[in-house]
Amino acid sequence: MKIADGLKIIENGWIRKPKGFRVKFQKQVETGIEDGYSPPAEVAPLNSDVTAWRYAWKLWQATRTAAENGAPGALYNITVVDDESHPFRFYGTGEFETYNPKRISGDEVPAMEADDEK
Amino acid sequence: MENEMPRLQRLGEVMTQHGTEMALALAILIIGLLAAKWIDKGLRKGLNKLMPNASFVSVFCNTVYILLVAIVITAAAVEFGAKPINMLRLLTIAALAAVGLVIFFRPFFPSLPFKVGNTVKAGNLLGKVEAITFLNTRLRTFDGKTFFVPNRQILDDIVINYHFTQTRRVKIDVSIRYDQDLLKAKRTLEAVMTGDARVKTKPGPMVYVLDLASNCVKLGGRCWVDNKNYWVARCDLLEKTKLRFDSEGIQFAFPQLDLHPGDEENI
Repeated sequence: MKIADGLKIIENGWIRKPKGFRVKFQKQVETGIEDGYSPPAEVAPLNSDVTAWRYAWKLWQATRTAAENGAPGALYNITVVDDESHPFRFYGTGEFETYNPKRISGDEVPAMEADDEK
Repeated sequence: MENEMPRLQRLGEVMTQHGTEMALALAILIIGLLAAKWIDKGLRKGLNKLMPNASFVSVFCNTVYILLVAIVITAAAVEFGAKPINMLRLLTIAALAAVGLVIFFRPFFPSLPFKVGNTVKAGNLLGKVEAITFLNTRLRTFDGKTFFVPNRQILDDIVINYHFTQTRRVKIDVSIRYDQDLLKAKRTLEAVMTGDARVKTKPGPMVYVLDLASNCVKLGGRCWVDNKNYWVARCDLLEKTKLRFDSEGIQFAFPQLDLHPGDEENI
Protein backbone atom coordinates (compact mmCIF):
# COMPACT_ATOMS: atom_id res chain seq x y z
CA MET A 1 0.00 0.00 0.00
CA LYS A 2 1.33 3.37 -1.00
CA ILE A 3 1.71 6.13 1.58
CA ALA A 4 -0.96 8.16 -0.21
CA ASP A 5 -3.44 5.27 0.12
CA GLY A 6 -2.62 4.90 3.80
CA LEU A 7 -3.12 8.61 4.37
CA LYS A 8 -6.50 8.37 2.64
CA ILE A 9 -7.56 5.59 5.02
CA ILE A 10 -6.45 7.69 8.00
CA GLU A 11 -8.26 10.75 6.63
CA ASN A 12 -11.51 8.84 6.20
CA GLY A 13 -11.36 6.68 9.28
CA TRP A 14 -9.47 8.39 12.08
CA ILE A 15 -11.16 11.68 12.91
CA ARG A 16 -14.10 12.84 10.82
CA LYS A 17 -13.66 16.43 9.85
CA PRO A 18 -17.04 18.19 9.76
CA LYS A 19 -17.67 20.64 6.96
CA GLY A 20 -19.52 23.04 9.22
CA PHE A 21 -21.67 23.52 12.28
CA ARG A 22 -25.19 24.65 13.08
CA VAL A 23 -27.05 25.24 16.30
CA LYS A 24 -30.04 22.91 16.49
CA PHE A 25 -33.00 23.70 18.72
CA GLN A 26 -36.65 22.95 19.24
CA LYS A 27 -39.12 25.77 19.42
CA GLN A 28 -42.48 25.88 21.14
CA VAL A 29 -45.11 27.10 18.67
CA GLU A 30 -48.92 27.12 18.79
CA THR A 31 -49.20 23.84 16.94
CA GLY A 32 -46.57 22.10 19.02
CA ILE A 33 -42.82 21.73 18.90
CA GLU A 34 -40.82 22.28 15.73
CA ASP A 35 -37.15 21.70 14.96
CA GLY A 36 -34.98 24.59 13.85
CA TYR A 37 -31.41 25.29 12.83
CA SER A 38 -29.34 28.43 13.02
CA PRO A 39 -28.00 29.23 10.53
CA PRO A 40 -30.78 27.53 8.54
CA ALA A 41 -30.02 24.55 6.34
CA GLU A 42 -30.13 26.57 3.11
CA VAL A 43 -27.45 28.98 4.39
CA ALA A 44 -23.73 28.17 4.71
CA PRO A 45 -22.93 26.69 8.13
CA LEU A 46 -20.51 28.18 10.68
CA ASN A 47 -16.94 27.00 10.11
CA SER A 48 -15.95 26.98 13.78
CA ASP A 49 -17.31 24.73 16.52
CA VAL A 50 -16.02 27.25 19.08
CA THR A 51 -18.17 29.96 17.51
CA ALA A 52 -21.14 27.59 17.23
CA TRP A 53 -20.95 26.59 20.90
CA ARG A 54 -20.59 30.22 21.98
CA TYR A 55 -23.63 31.07 19.88
CA ALA A 56 -25.59 28.17 21.40
CA TRP A 57 -24.61 29.27 24.90
CA LYS A 58 -25.80 32.84 24.23
CA LEU A 59 -29.10 31.52 22.86
CA TRP A 60 -29.45 29.49 26.05
CA GLN A 61 -28.80 32.53 28.24
CA ALA A 62 -31.29 34.59 26.25
CA THR A 63 -34.07 31.98 26.43
CA ARG A 64 -33.38 30.40 29.79
CA THR A 65 -36.08 32.21 31.72
CA ALA A 66 -38.66 31.75 28.97
CA ALA A 67 -37.89 28.02 28.82
CA GLU A 68 -38.18 27.62 32.60
CA ASN A 69 -41.59 29.33 32.54
CA GLY A 70 -42.74 27.44 29.47
CA ALA A 71 -43.37 30.69 27.63
CA PRO A 72 -44.31 30.55 23.96
CA GLY A 73 -41.36 31.01 21.61
CA ALA A 74 -38.91 29.46 24.06
CA LEU A 75 -36.09 27.36 22.64
CA TYR A 76 -35.43 23.88 24.01
CA ASN A 77 -32.77 21.24 23.52
CA ILE A 78 -30.27 23.71 22.11
CA THR A 79 -27.14 21.96 20.89
CA VAL A 80 -24.51 22.07 18.15
CA VAL A 81 -24.68 19.69 15.21
CA ASP A 82 -22.31 19.06 12.33
CA ASP A 83 -22.99 19.25 8.60
CA GLU A 84 -24.70 15.82 8.74
CA SER A 85 -26.90 16.95 11.63
CA HIS A 86 -25.11 14.66 14.11
CA PRO A 87 -24.67 16.13 17.60
CA PHE A 88 -21.17 17.50 18.07
CA ARG A 89 -19.26 17.18 21.31
CA PHE A 90 -18.55 20.38 23.26
CA TYR A 91 -14.82 21.03 22.88
CA GLY A 92 -14.53 22.21 26.49
CA THR A 93 -15.58 18.94 28.10
CA GLY A 94 -15.53 16.41 25.27
CA GLU A 95 -19.17 15.56 26.09
CA PHE A 96 -22.46 16.09 24.27
CA GLU A 97 -24.25 19.04 25.80
CA THR A 98 -27.82 20.26 25.51
CA TYR A 99 -29.07 23.57 26.85
CA ASN A 100 -32.66 24.02 28.08
CA PRO A 101 -33.18 20.24 27.96
CA LYS A 102 -36.81 19.16 27.72
CA ARG A 103 -38.54 15.87 27.08
CA ILE A 104 -40.81 16.44 24.16
CA SER A 105 -44.24 14.78 24.55
CA GLY A 106 -44.48 11.63 22.48
CA ASP A 107 -40.76 11.04 22.60
CA GLU A 108 -39.28 8.58 25.03
CA VAL A 109 -36.24 10.75 25.64
CA PRO A 110 -35.13 14.19 24.45
CA ALA A 111 -33.78 14.18 20.93
CA MET A 112 -30.22 14.87 21.96
CA GLU A 113 -30.13 12.17 24.57
CA ALA A 114 -31.47 9.71 22.04
CA ASP A 115 -28.61 10.59 19.71
CA ASP A 116 -26.16 10.03 22.55
CA GLU A 117 -27.47 6.55 23.12
CA LYS A 118 -26.77 5.60 19.51
CA MET B 1 1.76 104.49 -14.06
CA GLU B 2 1.12 106.29 -17.32
CA ASN B 3 2.38 103.24 -19.25
CA GLU B 4 -0.12 101.04 -17.44
CA MET B 5 -3.13 103.12 -18.46
CA PRO B 6 -3.47 101.75 -22.04
CA ARG B 7 -3.20 98.23 -20.71
CA LEU B 8 -5.94 98.81 -18.18
CA GLN B 9 -8.07 100.43 -20.88
CA ARG B 10 -7.60 97.39 -23.12
CA LEU B 11 -8.50 95.10 -20.24
CA GLY B 12 -11.60 97.16 -19.61
CA GLU B 13 -12.60 96.84 -23.25
CA VAL B 14 -12.05 93.09 -23.20
CA MET B 15 -14.10 92.76 -20.04
CA THR B 16 -16.87 94.83 -21.57
CA GLN B 17 -16.92 92.69 -24.70
CA HIS B 18 -16.33 89.23 -23.19
CA GLY B 19 -17.05 89.72 -19.50
CA THR B 20 -20.33 87.84 -19.55
CA GLU B 21 -18.82 84.84 -21.36
CA MET B 22 -15.87 84.78 -18.94
CA ALA B 23 -18.11 84.88 -15.91
CA LEU B 24 -20.34 82.18 -17.31
CA ALA B 25 -17.35 80.00 -18.25
CA LEU B 26 -15.91 80.43 -14.75
CA ALA B 27 -19.26 79.57 -13.19
CA ILE B 28 -19.58 76.45 -15.38
CA LEU B 29 -16.04 75.42 -14.41
CA ILE B 30 -16.53 75.86 -10.67
CA ILE B 31 -20.02 74.34 -10.51
CA GLY B 32 -19.04 71.55 -12.92
CA LEU B 33 -15.94 70.58 -10.92
CA LEU B 34 -17.92 70.59 -7.68
CA ALA B 35 -20.64 68.46 -9.29
CA ALA B 36 -18.02 66.04 -10.68
CA LYS B 37 -16.50 65.68 -7.22
CA TRP B 38 -19.95 65.09 -5.71
CA ILE B 39 -20.88 62.49 -8.35
CA ASP B 40 -17.51 60.74 -7.83
CA LYS B 41 -18.05 60.56 -4.08
CA GLY B 42 -21.59 59.21 -4.45
CA LEU B 43 -20.56 56.68 -7.08
CA ARG B 44 -17.72 55.36 -4.92
CA LYS B 45 -19.99 55.04 -1.92
CA GLY B 46 -22.68 53.22 -3.91
CA LEU B 47 -20.34 50.88 -5.77
CA ASN B 48 -18.37 50.00 -2.64
CA LYS B 49 -21.59 48.69 -1.12
CA LEU B 50 -22.55 46.73 -4.23
CA MET B 51 -19.17 45.37 -5.36
CA PRO B 52 -16.62 43.54 -3.25
CA ASN B 53 -13.78 44.27 -5.72
CA ALA B 54 -12.37 47.54 -4.35
CA SER B 55 -9.70 47.73 -7.04
CA PHE B 56 -12.25 47.69 -9.88
CA VAL B 57 -14.40 50.30 -8.14
CA SER B 58 -11.38 52.58 -7.74
CA VAL B 59 -10.38 52.29 -11.44
CA PHE B 60 -13.98 52.73 -12.66
CA CYS B 61 -14.62 55.80 -10.47
CA ASN B 62 -11.30 57.42 -11.45
CA THR B 63 -12.16 56.96 -15.15
CA VAL B 64 -15.64 58.45 -14.69
CA TYR B 65 -14.18 61.37 -12.74
CA ILE B 66 -11.58 62.15 -15.44
CA LEU B 67 -14.31 62.04 -18.12
CA LEU B 68 -16.54 64.37 -16.11
CA VAL B 69 -13.70 66.85 -15.57
CA ALA B 70 -12.91 66.76 -19.32
CA ILE B 71 -16.57 67.46 -20.15
CA VAL B 72 -16.70 70.37 -17.68
CA ILE B 73 -13.50 71.93 -19.05
CA THR B 74 -14.78 71.53 -22.62
CA ALA B 75 -18.13 73.13 -21.74
CA ALA B 76 -16.40 76.07 -20.04
CA ALA B 77 -14.03 76.55 -22.96
CA VAL B 78 -16.90 76.42 -25.49
CA GLU B 79 -18.83 78.97 -23.45
CA PHE B 80 -15.77 81.20 -23.50
CA GLY B 81 -15.67 81.07 -27.26
CA ALA B 82 -13.60 78.03 -28.19
CA LYS B 83 -14.87 75.97 -31.10
CA PRO B 84 -16.19 72.55 -29.99
CA ILE B 85 -14.34 70.74 -32.76
CA ASN B 86 -11.03 72.29 -31.66
CA MET B 87 -11.66 71.31 -28.05
CA LEU B 88 -12.49 67.78 -29.12
CA ARG B 89 -9.24 67.56 -31.07
CA LEU B 90 -7.27 68.99 -28.15
CA LEU B 91 -8.77 66.53 -25.70
CA THR B 92 -8.20 63.59 -28.05
CA ILE B 93 -4.54 64.57 -28.48
CA ALA B 94 -4.13 65.00 -24.71
CA ALA B 95 -5.76 61.62 -23.99
CA LEU B 96 -3.68 59.78 -26.58
CA ALA B 97 -0.49 61.45 -25.31
CA ALA B 98 -1.32 60.47 -21.72
CA VAL B 99 -2.07 56.85 -22.66
CA GLY B 100 1.11 56.65 -24.74
CA LEU B 101 3.26 58.05 -21.94
CA VAL B 102 1.76 55.68 -19.37
CA ILE B 103 2.29 52.64 -21.62
CA PHE B 104 5.85 53.67 -22.45
CA PHE B 105 6.97 54.57 -18.95
CA ARG B 106 5.02 51.96 -16.98
CA PRO B 107 7.89 49.41 -16.85
CA PHE B 108 10.13 52.11 -15.37
CA PHE B 109 7.70 53.07 -12.57
CA PRO B 110 8.31 51.28 -9.26
CA SER B 111 5.05 49.49 -8.51
CA LEU B 112 3.72 48.74 -5.06
CA PRO B 113 3.50 45.03 -4.19
CA PHE B 114 -0.21 45.16 -3.25
CA LYS B 115 -3.61 46.33 -4.43
CA VAL B 116 -6.53 48.05 -2.75
CA GLY B 117 -8.29 45.59 -0.45
CA ASN B 118 -5.17 43.51 0.36
CA THR B 119 -4.11 42.90 3.95
CA VAL B 120 -0.45 43.83 4.26
CA LYS B 121 2.28 44.43 6.77
CA ALA B 122 4.46 47.37 5.81
CA GLY B 123 7.12 48.22 8.34
CA ASN B 124 5.42 47.94 11.71
CA LEU B 125 1.91 48.48 10.34
CA LEU B 126 -0.50 45.65 9.77
CA GLY B 127 -3.77 46.53 8.08
CA LYS B 128 -5.96 46.66 5.03
CA VAL B 129 -5.07 48.85 2.05
CA GLU B 130 -7.94 51.28 1.51
CA ALA B 131 -6.53 53.51 -1.21
CA ILE B 132 -3.35 54.07 -3.18
CA THR B 133 -2.49 57.51 -4.55
CA PHE B 134 0.55 58.74 -6.42
CA LEU B 135 2.20 59.90 -3.21
CA ASN B 136 0.91 57.72 -0.39
CA THR B 137 -1.02 54.63 0.62
CA ARG B 138 -3.99 54.73 2.98
CA LEU B 139 -3.77 51.82 5.40
CA ARG B 140 -6.42 50.97 7.99
CA THR B 141 -5.09 48.95 10.89
CA PHE B 142 -7.26 46.40 12.69
CA ASP B 143 -7.64 48.65 15.72
CA GLY B 144 -9.36 51.23 13.52
CA LYS B 145 -6.54 53.73 12.91
CA THR B 146 -5.97 55.13 9.43
CA PHE B 147 -2.35 55.64 8.38
CA PHE B 148 -1.17 57.59 5.34
CA VAL B 149 2.16 55.95 4.51
CA PRO B 150 4.42 57.57 1.89
CA ASN B 151 4.90 55.17 -1.03
CA ARG B 152 8.64 55.85 -1.00
CA GLN B 153 8.82 54.55 2.57
CA ILE B 154 6.87 51.43 1.61
CA LEU B 155 9.14 50.76 -1.36
CA ASP B 156 12.20 51.01 0.91
CA ASP B 157 10.76 48.65 3.53
CA ILE B 158 9.93 44.96 3.72
CA VAL B 159 6.29 44.34 2.81
CA ILE B 160 4.30 41.21 3.63
CA ASN B 161 1.23 40.77 1.44
CA TYR B 162 -1.08 38.18 2.97
CA HIS B 163 -3.11 37.90 -0.24
CA PHE B 164 -0.37 36.39 -2.37
CA THR B 165 -0.97 32.92 -0.97
CA GLN B 166 -4.29 31.24 -0.24
CA THR B 167 -3.19 29.35 2.84
CA ARG B 168 -1.15 30.08 5.91
CA ARG B 169 0.52 27.92 8.55
CA VAL B 170 -0.69 28.01 12.13
CA LYS B 171 1.80 27.39 14.94
CA ILE B 172 0.50 25.90 18.16
CA ASP B 173 3.48 25.66 20.51
CA VAL B 174 2.91 24.18 23.96
CA SER B 175 5.19 23.05 26.73
CA ILE B 176 4.47 20.10 29.01
CA ARG B 177 6.15 18.93 32.17
CA TYR B 178 8.76 16.18 32.01
CA ASP B 179 6.61 13.78 34.04
CA GLN B 180 3.73 13.97 31.53
CA ASP B 181 2.91 11.38 28.86
CA LEU B 182 4.67 12.78 25.79
CA LEU B 183 2.97 10.50 23.26
CA LYS B 184 -0.47 11.22 24.68
CA ALA B 185 0.23 14.95 24.46
CA LYS B 186 1.38 14.62 20.84
CA ARG B 187 -1.70 12.60 19.89
CA THR B 188 -4.04 14.98 21.67
CA LEU B 189 -2.56 18.03 19.98
CA GLU B 190 -2.72 16.36 16.56
CA ALA B 191 -6.32 15.28 17.18
CA VAL B 192 -7.31 18.85 18.10
CA MET B 193 -5.88 20.16 14.83
CA THR B 194 -7.19 17.30 12.69
CA GLY B 195 -10.72 17.62 14.05
CA ASP B 196 -11.02 21.31 13.23
CA ALA B 197 -13.15 22.00 10.16
CA ARG B 198 -10.84 24.75 8.89
CA VAL B 199 -7.56 22.85 9.07
CA LYS B 200 -6.37 21.57 5.68
CA THR B 201 -5.84 17.86 5.14
CA LYS B 202 -3.04 18.49 2.65
CA PRO B 203 -0.55 19.18 4.06
CA GLY B 204 -1.93 17.53 7.17
CA PRO B 205 -1.31 18.68 10.73
CA MET B 206 1.98 17.63 12.31
CA VAL B 207 3.31 17.68 15.86
CA TYR B 208 7.03 17.90 16.58
CA VAL B 209 9.07 17.72 19.75
CA LEU B 210 10.83 21.04 19.42
CA ASP B 211 13.07 21.01 22.45
CA LEU B 212 13.96 19.24 25.67
CA ALA B 213 14.34 22.43 27.64
CA SER B 214 15.55 22.88 31.19
CA ASN B 215 12.08 22.66 32.75
CA CYS B 216 9.74 21.42 30.00
CA VAL B 217 9.28 19.47 26.82
CA LYS B 218 8.34 21.83 24.01
CA LEU B 219 5.85 20.57 21.44
CA GLY B 220 5.12 22.32 18.17
CA GLY B 221 1.86 21.77 16.33
CA ARG B 222 1.80 22.87 12.71
CA CYS B 223 -1.22 22.98 10.42
CA TRP B 224 -2.48 24.97 7.44
CA VAL B 225 -5.66 27.02 7.14
CA ASP B 226 -7.12 29.46 4.61
CA ASN B 227 -5.60 32.90 4.90
CA LYS B 228 -8.97 34.51 5.68
CA ASN B 229 -9.54 32.10 8.59
CA TYR B 230 -6.04 32.37 10.05
CA TRP B 231 -6.57 34.58 13.06
CA VAL B 232 -9.81 33.08 14.37
CA ALA B 233 -8.66 29.51 13.64
CA ARG B 234 -5.42 30.10 15.55
CA CYS B 235 -7.27 31.51 18.57
CA ASP B 236 -9.82 28.66 18.49
CA LEU B 237 -7.10 26.01 18.23
CA LEU B 238 -5.22 27.49 21.19
CA GLU B 239 -8.43 27.49 23.25
CA LYS B 240 -9.32 23.94 22.28
CA THR B 241 -5.78 22.73 22.95
CA LYS B 242 -5.78 24.16 26.46
CA LEU B 243 -9.19 22.69 27.30
CA ARG B 244 -8.47 19.29 25.71
CA PHE B 245 -5.16 19.00 27.56
CA ASP B 246 -6.99 19.84 30.78
CA SER B 247 -9.67 17.21 30.17
CA GLU B 248 -7.04 14.62 29.22
CA GLY B 249 -5.12 15.41 32.41
CA ILE B 250 -1.98 16.61 30.62
CA GLN B 251 -0.30 19.31 32.62
CA PHE B 252 1.39 22.27 31.01
CA ALA B 253 4.80 23.34 32.18
CA PHE B 254 5.51 26.63 33.82
CA PRO B 255 8.83 28.18 34.81
CA GLN B 256 9.95 26.41 37.96
CA LEU B 257 13.05 25.51 39.85
CA ASP B 258 13.23 22.34 41.92
CA LEU B 259 15.37 22.69 45.03
CA HIS B 260 16.85 19.54 46.57
CA PRO B 261 18.26 20.36 50.03
CA GLY B 262 21.58 18.63 50.51
CA ASP B 263 22.07 15.91 53.09
CA GLU B 264 23.24 17.78 56.19
CA GLU B 265 25.64 15.02 57.16
CA ASN B 266 27.61 15.51 53.93
CA ILE B 267 28.02 19.26 54.40
